[in-house]
Amino acid sequence: MERNEILKQVNAIFIDTLDDEDVVIEETTTANDVEEWDSLTHIQLVVAIEKHFKIRFTSKEIQSWNNVGEMLNCIQEKGI
Amino acid sequence: MIFKLGDKFEEHFIVSDETYNGFIQIFKDTNPLHTDENFAVEKGFKGKVMHGNILNGFLSYFIGECLPTKNVIIHSQEIQFKNAVYLNDELQFKAEIIGIYESVNAIEFKFDFKNATTKTVAKGKIQIGIIK
Repeated sequence: MERNEILKQVNAIFIDTLDDEDVVIEETTTANDVEEWDSLTHIQLVVAIEKHFKIRFTSKEIQSWNNVGEMLNCIQEKGI
Repeated sequence: MIFKLGDKFEEHFIVSDETYNGFIQIFKDTNPLHTDENFAVEKGFKGKVMHGNILNGFLSYFIGECLPTKNVIIHSQEIQFKNAVYLNDELQFKAEIIGIYESVNAIEFKFDFKNATTKTVAKGKIQIGIIK
C-alpha cells in the first residue's frame, strides 16, 4: 500500500478514535501536537490500527515511535 | 500473557430485589417503566422492566472479580439491550476473548446475557487493560 494511503487510513482511525473530525496527522505529528492523544487514547489508537490492518505490534516497537512517521514505518515493515 | 484467544468464561446472575432496590436507591432512576407494574404492562411488557444498566454492574463484577487476575481496568465497553429483564430473572452470562493486543496489554471480550428461556437479553464487547 502506498504510504500516503496508509497515512490517510491512519488519519481516519484517529478521527474515529478521538471523535474529532478536524484531526489531521502528518509524518511529523506527535502526541504533543494532538490535544486528545493521551495515554489511554494511545492504547485505543494502537488497538484500532492493529485491528484495521490486521497486524500486531510489540511493546518494544510502540515505545520506539517518536512520531506518526515512525508508526507508519512500522506498519509498512509488516507488509502493508 | 495469562489470557489466550478464545478463552471462555461463564457466570450466573440473578436480578434480585436487593440489586433492583439498591440500584434505585443509589441512582434515583424511578422511571415508571422500572417501578410501576401497570405502566410497564400497558407498554407491552410482562412487568416492571429492570434497568439495563444493572447488567453493566454485573459486567463490572465479572471484570473486577472473576478473571484470573485483579490487575485489570476497563478501557471501553458497548452493550446492546435486546430483550427486557424482569425482577428475579436468572441470567446466564458468557464471555469469550476475541482479541489480545499484547503491545498495549489490552484484551477484548465479546459477551452476552441470556435469560432462563435462553433468549439473549443483552450482548456487547468490552475491552480491558492489564495493569502492571
